[in-house]
Amino acid sequence: MLRRVLMSLTAVLLGFYLATPPVSAQSLDEFENKVTEFTLDNGLTFLIIERPVAPVVSFATYVNVGGANEPVGHTGMAHIFEHMAFKGTHTVGTNNWEEEKKVLKDLDNTYQEWLSEKYSTQPDSAKMDKLWTQFENLQEKAGEYVVNNEFSEIIDRNGGTGMNATTSQDRTNYFYSLPENRLELWFSLESDRFKNPVFREFYKEKEVVREERRMRSESQPIGRLIEEFASVAFTAHPYGRPTVGWHSDITATTMEDAREFYNTYYVPNNITFAIAGDVDPQETKKLAEEYFGDMKEGPKPPPVYTKEPEQRGERRFTIQGESQPFFIMGYHTVAQDHPDSKALQLLGSILSGGRTSILYKRMVEEEQTALQVSAFNGYPGQKYETLFATLAIPNQNVGVDTMETSILEEIEKVKNDGVSQEALDRARTNARANLIRSLDSNSGLASSLASAENLRGDWRKVFTDIEELNEVTIDDIQRVANEYLTKDNRTVGAIVTEEDNSSDEEVADANN
Amino acid sequence: MAVFAFACSQTEQVADSQQSDNTSTNPYENMDFPELNNFQKPEVETFTTENGITFYLVEDKELPLINVSTRVRTGGVLNSNEKTGLASITGTVMRSGGTETYPADSLNAMLENRAASIETGIGFTSGNASMDVLKEDFDDLLPVYLDILTNPTFPEDKIELAKTQQKSSISRRNDDPQQIGIREFQALIYGEDSPYGRNTEYETINNITREDLVNFHNKHFSAGNMMVGIVGDFNTEEMKQKLRNSFGELQNGDKTQLKFPEVDYESQSSINFIEKSDVNQSFVMLGHLGGLRDNPDYAKVQVMNRVLSGGFSGRLMQVVRTEMGLAYSVFGQYGMNSFYPGMFYAGVMTKSSTTAEAIDAIIDQIERLQEESVTEQELQDVKDQILNSSVFEYDSYEEVLSERLSNEYRGLPADAFEQYIEGVKATTIEDVQEVAQEYLDPENLQILVVGNKEEIGDQLEKYGDVNEIDITIPEPGSGDKQMVEGDAEKGEEWLSKMAGAVIDSDTELNSISLSGEMNMQGRKMPMTSTITYPDAIEQTINGPMGEVKVIYEDGSGKMITGGQERSIPPQMAKNLKSTLNRSFLSIALNSDQVNPQYLGEEELDGSSYAKVNVTVDDSNITLLIDTETHYPDVIRYKQFNPQMGEQVTIENHHSEWHVVDGIAYPYLQETMVDGNKSGEAVYKSHEVNK
Repeated sequence: MLRRVLMSLTAVLLGFYLATPPVSAQSLDEFENKVTEFTLDNGLTFLIIERPVAPVVSFATYVNVGGANEPVGHTGMAHIFEHMAFKGTHTVGTNNWEEEKKVLKDLDNTYQEWLSEKYSTQPDSAKMDKLWTQFENLQEKAGEYVVNNEFSEIIDRNGGTGMNATTSQDRTNYFYSLPENRLELWFSLESDRFKNPVFREFYKEKEVVREERRMRSESQPIGRLIEEFASVAFTAHPYGRPTVGWHSDITATTMEDAREFYNTYYVPNNITFAIAGDVDPQETKKLAEEYFGDMKEGPKPPPVYTKEPEQRGERRFTIQGESQPFFIMGYHTVAQDHPDSKALQLLGSILSGGRTSILYKRMVEEEQTALQVSAFNGYPGQKYETLFATLAIPNQNVGVDTMETSILEEIEKVKNDGVSQEALDRARTNARANLIRSLDSNSGLASSLASAENLRGDWRKVFTDIEELNEVTIDDIQRVANEYLTKDNRTVGAIVTEEDNSSDEEVADANN
Repeated sequence: MAVFAFACSQTEQVADSQQSDNTSTNPYENMDFPELNNFQKPEVETFTTENGITFYLVEDKELPLINVSTRVRTGGVLNSNEKTGLASITGTVMRSGGTETYPADSLNAMLENRAASIETGIGFTSGNASMDVLKEDFDDLLPVYLDILTNPTFPEDKIELAKTQQKSSISRRNDDPQQIGIREFQALIYGEDSPYGRNTEYETINNITREDLVNFHNKHFSAGNMMVGIVGDFNTEEMKQKLRNSFGELQNGDKTQLKFPEVDYESQSSINFIEKSDVNQSFVMLGHLGGLRDNPDYAKVQVMNRVLSGGFSGRLMQVVRTEMGLAYSVFGQYGMNSFYPGMFYAGVMTKSSTTAEAIDAIIDQIERLQEESVTEQELQDVKDQILNSSVFEYDSYEEVLSERLSNEYRGLPADAFEQYIEGVKATTIEDVQEVAQEYLDPENLQILVVGNKEEIGDQLEKYGDVNEIDITIPEPGSGDKQMVEGDAEKGEEWLSKMAGAVIDSDTELNSISLSGEMNMQGRKMPMTSTITYPDAIEQTINGPMGEVKVIYEDGSGKMITGGQERSIPPQMAKNLKSTLNRSFLSIALNSDQVNPQYLGEEELDGSSYAKVNVTVDDSNITLLIDTETHYPDVIRYKQFNPQMGEQVTIENHHSEWHVVDGIAYPYLQETMVDGNKSGEAVYKSHEVNK
């Protein structure tokens, strides 16, 4: 049970194939009958998807806030809040909220004083030590009121499965499934945690988050590579910052910051719930009013103002590492709802989706230079202007320059000669089939519909995207390749093995 | 900064007032849940054809898809240690190589044009072939599926591709600490030569031939070894007919006997370490051998397992993650496999400095299970978890089918899950403690840590003598290790002549300092180097990336580039050491330990040499000693080149010998790799014992 923060590239890939594929209009009609949509007066939107295959029901909560929304100095905030959402409420996870609240207040005050001293021009280390001791004492005292993991335990013992949450650059989602007779339990717990959040065990959980950062971004070569890649590719837009946060920002984040973040973004008009399975829409609507009706309205959260300025020239970086080599390259492109994103999506599929794709055939099968190669539009996110990224893992006897040469050559061919109609048709067919196959689980349905509704304003986009995919021509593919995949617009990064042959031989020569 | 702006919203106050009488009633506690909606578990229709295939069918009309899955009695366990990887490559190439009627390229295009997939694979305990198609494509693609199942062509080029990919994966297997940890823990528990703990290696891949693949496939992919499951949008009666007509034609064949060797496990406690200097977090696994699925205590042990490591509610997560904040990921499992014993393990990923603290916390929790009984509440919670979530066991048609197939394959009754549920219900507090005492052995845990030695320091020493595991990837062609037999007496004679020529008998060589330049691929790089015998090197090279200084001594060292200091990777330290050991001066100094064997004369470039084989670090090195000067003009050895994935022959040619202070040194050294010159070093001076 891992709460994922930064989707690995493979997960991104998978998400890419499943997120926006098309299906026939007939399916949309079918779904119009299965989906009940309503919005409460306070702005909360619910999607109910009837699918009585088994007596179970899946829940997906999407909040339209992610890493990209974080204020400067607080990278990692969205993710830390996500962790806090499992810490309980005023009644869950505590044996005495009244008392606990007071201690938590003192605790945060003390931490803030410590922080302020730490960042003062001439920090007084004696004062810092004293504050830290005080902080640790308060933390221990606060711990006496904690009923450990009670929130998730309630879900567990009621038969909950698949409980988890993830934070990406674009959004935060929370999900689990229950036996259908426990529907009301979900309403009770979900409304409680989003109406009455507590920042229980906040500072301990930040240490958990640091371990998550060490695991994903520091102790794995691919994690190091993609973090560096995003931060080189983006100079202004927050997509360049890691969702898991920088260590210094994690240190600087307080409970008060988390509270402010919650007040700004966890407002009803920014949240969508989807419930899929053996569920009655009328009963559900009643429960929604009962449990969520009193959630306070809030102003529309502020947009992300910063746009990535036009790139003035190619950017490159190399990490000398102990691992085998990796290669990554990306071009600035468009956001998901831009008309060109469909052509870019299909281009990615034509280049690397399946055994017939251009890069797979050449690099994996024929020349046998790559163990894996992938290309897709949508890293590090999809909501804002993003990157068309390619990732290649070279085979044993091959360097990263070969990856770059082959990929660039194939991109040039697309730019000069275009792609075949057959390849385009195949990419569309597979996108359609992938969508159909994703519709046969409650959790998949709840998640994809909630996501489209929450981030793009309409769950129907899951289905109507097909019209747009059908409109894409081979000329469009060639056009977007020429427009976006240019030298000045790209970032190229690699891990190369520091213990390479030449240094070995250098030593060998010298010692004989 | 001291103001605490706790925004008290209205809802918060409402909640507080509910709380004021301090009865701590949570809304969820008073919730009455209605009866679960009636659920008819879908019936699985089965029949068996004359040639011995049993079919399992479930109709599912929700989407216009049909999925076929054939399970085949075979597996990697059948492979010998010499050909580890054979099953996996067979499974890959069955599909990637296509058939005579459907060669790879046209097969791929045909399937992808229809958004259909046919995939094959062979795992450790079974093989599988699946077909996933839109229902309208079923009739067209069923013959294709059967052809792949029974008539794969195994073309050489696709075998080579699969082997190349396997080797690339092998070369990458030490990049990720989690992958290292899990793999090496298995080797620790089952033994590295056991089928359960062994690795696929370059050499075992090299040993596999096309004939092996053809034979392995023929032996196992016959009707008598198959079970077929079909789920999707079809009519059962029509489908049965189609299956009879197609699968009914297959040869019955010999029934495969899957043999699972006994695990010879000796209870022991051990502390093992694997160095990974580029991480700042330790990956820890600890545990011992687990059990078998058919153990009558299965349900009780799994209840105990849940108490310890059942997700967020498990004690490990509660304590190590939530209370102590030591980890994001902490996990455990009492593995009870069907065919051979599983492993009991618990693991954690924690920053280097808290490695021992996290290990201790986990061991405490294991001991606690034995020492005190679980509370009534805890047991009830775990039972509720299992019982209330049991409805998810059959929440899709695919799951119903795959569970049925899986039970049949493993020889479990069709109602194995229901029996397990009954066992959980019957489990008592005493049972949990009893099985903890019987099946857990906290006194005999094997601990494995993958992490950063410098950061971890001496934390592991309290667990015992730390066994450092070398995970260097074995190079193929180690047949070179074989003893070379020649004339030992003459060998000794020639080697002593060589030693006398390069080190004057009055000189005691302690160190040598060299200066010169290296010439590689047309780039000239100034270089100085001091070697202190027997085992230290200090070297500075001015390369294209600026000055690089390497300081090595006794197995480890550091590298300084652009003012930044890093420890050198273990593999590089190892290379430095073996390079030093096979240098002619080291050989001369150790001439009594290298087993010289005279192999006759060899002519090279018009000169005649005495050919002497010596053994250094278990490898053979050939010296060509000039019959007049007695200088070792050529040193020849084989080395694994990881870039090329094979052995290459390296020759160092020495000329322009100069003698200073009793030590002779060649001022021109040329390196040849498989006969091609790859670089040279030109020296200006050498100094002795400075």
